[in-house]
Amino acid sequence: MSDRRLRAVIFVLSAAGAGIAAYLTYAHLADVPVVCVTGGCETVQHSHWSELGGIPVAAIGLAGYVLLAATALFASDLARGIGAASAVGGFAFALFLVWVQAAEIHAFCQWCLASDALLALIVVAALARAWRAAPPGGGSSRPARRPTGSGLARPAAPAPPRR
Amino acid sequence: MSRRTLIIAVAAAVVAAGALAAALALTTGGSKKPAAALGAATVAQMLNGIPQQGTTLGRADAPVTLVEFADPQCPYCGEWAKRALPVIVSRYVRTGKVQIVFNGLTFVGSDSEKALRAALAAGRQHRFWNVIELLYQNQGTENTGWVSDSFLRKVGASVPGLDVQRMLRESSQGSVTTQIAQAAAVAQQAGVNATPTFAVGKTGGAMQLVQISSFDASGLAPSLDSALAS
Repeated sequence: MSDRRLRAVIFVLSAAGAGIAAYLTYAHLADVPVVCVTGGCETVQHSHWSELGGIPVAAIGLAGYVLLAATALFASDLARGIGAASAVGGFAFALFLVWVQAAEIHAFCQWCLASDALLALIVVAALARAWRAAPPGGGSSRPARRPTGSGLARPAAPAPPRR
Repeated sequence: MSRRTLIIAVAAAVVAAGALAAALALTTGGSKKPAAALGAATVAQMLNGIPQQGTTLGRADAPVTLVEFADPQCPYCGEWAKRALPVIVSRYVRTGKVQIVFNGLTFVGSDSEKALRAALAAGRQHRFWNVIELLYQNQGTENTGWVSDSFLRKVGASVPGLDVQRMLRESSQGSVTTQIAQAAAVAQQAGVNATPTFAVGKTGGAMQLVQISSFDASGLAPSLDSALAS
């Protein structure tokens, strides 16, 4: 899969995740019931675990998804690195929250689990994107300048235009 | 960015996630349980294992029935619920001698209706008594809007096994409105003009209104004993 396609996948998945996180943030702040088929969303939303220092955990998730979507908009090394690191970090935190739902709250929120599934896919895409572009060891991922003195060396093909 | 740098960045992000998790655990008190309504444990313990069917608490084949006419906002009903009910339940209901039927009224005001609707909806999940007793345990000032959606969710979340979302959804159903109207008609027919009012009688037989002398169990026990003896 090309870098461009991976970026598109990451962007779409991040936008979907941001939608879920925005909905849960709104429901938390406006104190309105959450559409829920598992019956555990209310319990999770009203637990002590739903806020960190007065900030809804869903809002932290929303910020994370916005960051991930933003990294998909740029083709730079930095964007790839930040995307991979934040996806893995976010997924580690999401796994902790799954444990909290199971072991501490004893209820599961379907929206949170859907978000976790999206994040798992984003991790795969973001890591694939960053790993492929990163050369082993030190140095930059920018292609090294080829020696042009040899008659055997073919001139480097122009890079395809990036959109 | 090299792969080595990438691995370091990812590892740093995992450490940051761990720090965030630790911060969440510390600020929430770690293993602290979700916020529960006041008296949740007491009510759950009082009702644990006793059959509930709609607004009826106790075994269907109990020889004596006690009907309680009460408004969720009435302070005296709350006092009776806290002082007398635990003893009545322990002595008469848990032993299978008496079943209690709650005949909910809403004359105090809008908060009464909202509270009663939620409790009646919880009755569809056989948890009417858990909710109505928690409402009494956490009773607010009459008609100040204390029965908010948020409050009802907190009460509902304190009832083991209750689907809170379903309770809130079903509380506005027409069948609940009908149930409230029927209860009001029963109260009017029985001549109830204050709450709490009680009626005692053989199950399936005629009910007699009872004047209670106090808000503890001794105010009603003689009537129940008399009905059981007859």
